[in-house]
Amino acid sequence: MKTKSNRFWLILLGVVLAVSAAAAIYLLTRPSAPGDTALVYLDGKQVDRVDLSKVTENYTKEFTGQSGLTNTVEFGPGMVRVAEATCPDQVCVYQGWVEADGFPIACLPNTLIIQVVAAEDVPLLDREF
Amino acid sequence: MNTKRLTFCALLTAIALTIFMVEAQIPPLAPVPGMKLGLANIVTVYAMFALGPADALMILLCRVFLGALFAGGSTFFYSLAGGLCCYLVMLPLRKLLTVKQLWVCGALSSIAHNVGQVGMAILIARTPALITYLALLLPVGILTGAFTGLAAQFLLSRLDGKLKL
Repeated sequence: MKTKSNRFWLILLGVVLAVSAAAAIYLLTRPSAPGDTALVYLDGKQVDRVDLSKVTENYTKEFTGQSGLTNTVEFGPGMVRVAEATCPDQVCVYQGWVEADGFPIACLPNTLIIQVVAAEDVPLLDREF
Repeated sequence: MNTKRLTFCALLTAIALTIFMVEAQIPPLAPVPGMKLGLANIVTVYAMFALGPADALMILLCRVFLGALFAGGSTFFYSLAGGLCCYLVMLPLRKLLTVKQLWVCGALSSIAHNVGQVGMAILIARTPALITYLALLLPVGILTGAFTGLAAQFLLSRLDGKLKL
């Protein structure tokens, strides 16, 4: 196989970088839709669903997964966060409050995912009929 | 494989594991799951070009298994998926890149690592929305990957010829 010039690789990497950075900026600045619903997934299953527009006072709830780790999730008016976690890296806690349908909160050690979606975007399989 | 080569591989594994453990102590740089410097990849890139694919695979697997053992196993499957994707991308790059282009290997293998890691997270958590994290992981990964690749490049050029295995 033939080796390619530095310029070839720079352009290739530059394109990937530009596309992903543009996607990141789009996701970070996207406005929040009203009626946001928080979906909590633990070990791949939906374990809780909260209509954040109906929350008037903050409250917390604990989720313990198969890993034995516990995340304390705090729900507030229109927003949700992981207040405390027994996981080693605390990334989920640092993610702070999430309001909009952008990046889900993820605690990989405990496989806990919190996704905020617009009410009509709740996955069909997860809806209550 | 002679004793000298085996010892050198063991030494590289120990160095990779040390870097991995020290890096795990650094608080997260940004609140993004899976975002880190990936300094241990310096050793993998170096081993791939200096020793060849077989030795590089052994060093990588030993580091991932031992890393999970020492640092707690919660992220083992993510490291394994990322590491193997990273390795598969490096295989053809061995022939495509010159020894002055290891920074490209670092950047591309970092992309592969992130894709493998997010793919595994989607499989485990069954939440396709996690793919949005690639938008944050890729730009940062390309930059940190190019840096770790460059570190491997300097290492290779300085050790080249001095090593008789």
